[in-house]
Amino acid sequence: MQLIIDKAGKLYKGKVWALRNFSLELGPGVLGLLGPNGAGKTTLMNIIATITRATEGTVTWNGADLQREPDAVRAVLGYLPQDFGVYPNLNAVEFLEYFAAVKGLDAASARRRIDELLQLVNLADVRKRPLGGYSGGMRQRIGIAQALLNDPQLLIVDEPTAGLDPEERVRFRNLLSDLSGDRIVILSTHIVSDVEATATEIALISSGTLVTHAPPEELLRAAEGRVWEWVIPSAELSAAKQRYLISGTVRRADGVHVRLLAESAPAGAVPVAATLEDAYLHCLSTHRAQRAEASAR
Amino acid sequence: MTRGRALYHLARADFLERVRRYSFLLTLAFAAGLAFLTYSGTISLELGEYRGVYNSAWVGSMMTLVSTTFITLAGFYMVKNTIQRDAQTRVGLVLATTPMSKSLYTLGKALSNFAVLAAMVAVLAGAAAILQLVRAEGGGLEPAKLLAPFVWVALPAMAMTAAIAVLFETLPLLRGGAGNVIYFFAWAAYVGLSGATGVNDYLGLGFFMRNMTGALKLIDPSHREDQFTLQAGPTVHATKTFLWNGVDWTPQVLLGRLQWVAIAMGIAWLAALFFHRFDPARGRARWAARGKKEAPEPEEDRAGANGAPVARAAAGQLTPLVRTAHGSRFARLVVSELRLMLKGRGWWWYLVAAGLFAASLAVPDVQARQAVAACAWLWPVLIWSQMGAREARYDTGKLVFSCAHALDRQLPAVWAAGVVLAVSTGGGLGIRSLMGGDWLGFSAWLAGALFVPSFALALGVWSGSSRLFEALYTLWWYAGPMNHVPGLDFMGMTPARFATVFYVLATLALWIAAYVGRRGKLGYA
Repeated sequence: MQLIIDKAGKLYKGKVWALRNFSLELGPGVLGLLGPNGAGKTTLMNIIATITRATEGTVTWNGADLQREPDAVRAVLGYLPQDFGVYPNLNAVEFLEYFAAVKGLDAASARRRIDELLQLVNLADVRKRPLGGYSGGMRQRIGIAQALLNDPQLLIVDEPTAGLDPEERVRFRNLLSDLSGDRIVILSTHIVSDVEATATEIALISSGTLVTHAPPEELLRAAEGRVWEWVIPSAELSAAKQRYLISGTVRRADGVHVRLLAESAPAGAVPVAATLEDAYLHCLSTHRAQRAEASAR
Repeated sequence: MTRGRALYHLARADFLERVRRYSFLLTLAFAAGLAFLTYSGTISLELGEYRGVYNSAWVGSMMTLVSTTFITLAGFYMVKNTIQRDAQTRVGLVLATTPMSKSLYTLGKALSNFAVLAAMVAVLAGAAAILQLVRAEGGGLEPAKLLAPFVWVALPAMAMTAAIAVLFETLPLLRGGAGNVIYFFAWAAYVGLSGATGVNDYLGLGFFMRNMTGALKLIDPSHREDQFTLQAGPTVHATKTFLWNGVDWTPQVLLGRLQWVAIAMGIAWLAALFFHRFDPARGRARWAARGKKEAPEPEEDRAGANGAPVARAAAGQLTPLVRTAHGSRFARLVVSELRLMLKGRGWWWYLVAAGLFAASLAVPDVQARQAVAACAWLWPVLIWSQMGAREARYDTGKLVFSCAHALDRQLPAVWAAGVVLAVSTGGGLGIRSLMGGDWLGFSAWLAGALFVPSFALALGVWSGSSRLFEALYTLWWYAGPMNHVPGLDFMGMTPARFATVFYVLATLALWIAAYVGRRGKLGYA
């Protein structure tokens, strides 16, 4: 089971490259796709999910070129887009039955699977209600069930926990971890804690290019020794923000506890263990600095 | 002043959003097409055996009548989506939180509709000048006489159409496909009434009829008012010409025309009373769900919130699927598509469909039976119109099109479901033909049963909307099966040479168009 993206690029109207020279090789596991807004994450997922065609480069699934054989991946794909609609007059069972038919599942195993999935996403009690009356979180969960209908070998989920309450978010994280053993899962999100909890590898994208592709431990190691906690009076917070890359602040009785990234510690700051969020910010700021330096040259 | 500025920007933003879409080019192309048909003589204004000399007054008035007759119909369908777009893009939710009043909003939307329709009128006005210069039979170009009918007749008619479109969008029963069909019949009845009575209608039909007929009667007293026709077709009846110098635009006449602008503003204001300001609790979902046993309030997840442990499957416990061949699933997909099409129809829908089926089979009088049979194929128009456009309407495209064989299995399944619907609703006529041994009639009917879903699918795929099919099909149905215009009767009730062959070939062409359109939208084949 292997997904290979080789020098893929996507040019939109107006000559805007959303993705450029992007290469990645994936095997079973959860890939956390991180990057700022407009980095090209959704474009990449749309290309892999065969929603849109790459302008250049190739994407292959188990050796099959998706440009020529898109059904090679569609048959084993589960896709949860960031934005999607539902048919408001259908209930959860009818909606999933429809997609089971579209995905070519036979009736008996589809029925069993739908029952199990509705249990899994905690919608069994409202299975007969029209989707038009579902809340945002419930619609998101029906989308998750839809993505898992065909027992996908490749599961692509774009901001899957958006709109979910904390309990459902935790459940979904666990679900992703359970699923990852024998399939490729691509998880795109801005919620770093979701990636922290599930991802076995991380790909960081910025401005349509791959910044890094590594296990979380490797990213954490790169940030190690560069994260500090510094207690300062509230009045100095603004100046500190100007000077340092700050990943968090907490107000306490003794002042503001600032968590910052810097090559060397400010006076009075103490070193702390890096989190994935620190590592993400460090990696991104290093990349931007390198780009700025390169363009200045 | 602030309200005026808000109104201007509301209309401006909406207008710019529209004109920057490719569909606006189609709008202008439609207007240009009308102009060409008039130029070529396919559309012409005739008073029995007379027509006017092509001077500025006649050409301007004729083009004005072309615009008020055709654009008030087709243009209505083109602009009746402005509030819907705000709902779909969710811009409406933001607008709803501003101090903007409901009347300002509906007025702004009517203004934007008016601007789009006025752009189409402008194309015809430009074409009128060219037509007069090319024909060169009525003296030099007189801009005031040429343009006055557009300003005083066409623009008020567009204002009315723009406001009515907004009103339809705010009324739950009229905002959907039913409203599109109802508008067609209301428009047809109004056109008939205006032409018959000669009243000061907003379309200007009666207004010009009185004026032109009065002038002609001075030359030929035997001329009758009912001979005033805006002729559409290759046959030209007029063999004589007469000189008509136009309408005398007195203050009283102008006031009579301006009253329609005031009425249009009143309609736009009336629409504000029904506009729910994008309140989701009063939106479509709630309305659609009304009457069902379990009223689906937008709700929190009780199953997860009550604190009680709920037995759930773990991901690892999901039953593995047995993978089977794709081809064997087609019939199941057709059934699923058919279920999706029919979902939400009340028992009364099936009752009417069954009644029409039975009546088209059993009514002894031929004319009555044909009328009932025609109705049997108008009844499912709102179901067919969803074909090919449903994924765009409900934003499920990414889910459906990322499935395997979306092009070579799902698209044919949609079409097959549409054919099943055609056969099952209009089957009475087919069975009757078979029982009578009328094989030609049966084959013509069968060609129609294949043609209608293909027409719906192609238009749905290409337009991404149900409105185009609803408008064109209703018009076609009205001319063909209902009024028996030879060649246009796709049900085969009106004898016409090669009609069956034509509809079979059209089915094929439309199928290819749907396939190519969907293929283009998929990005991948």
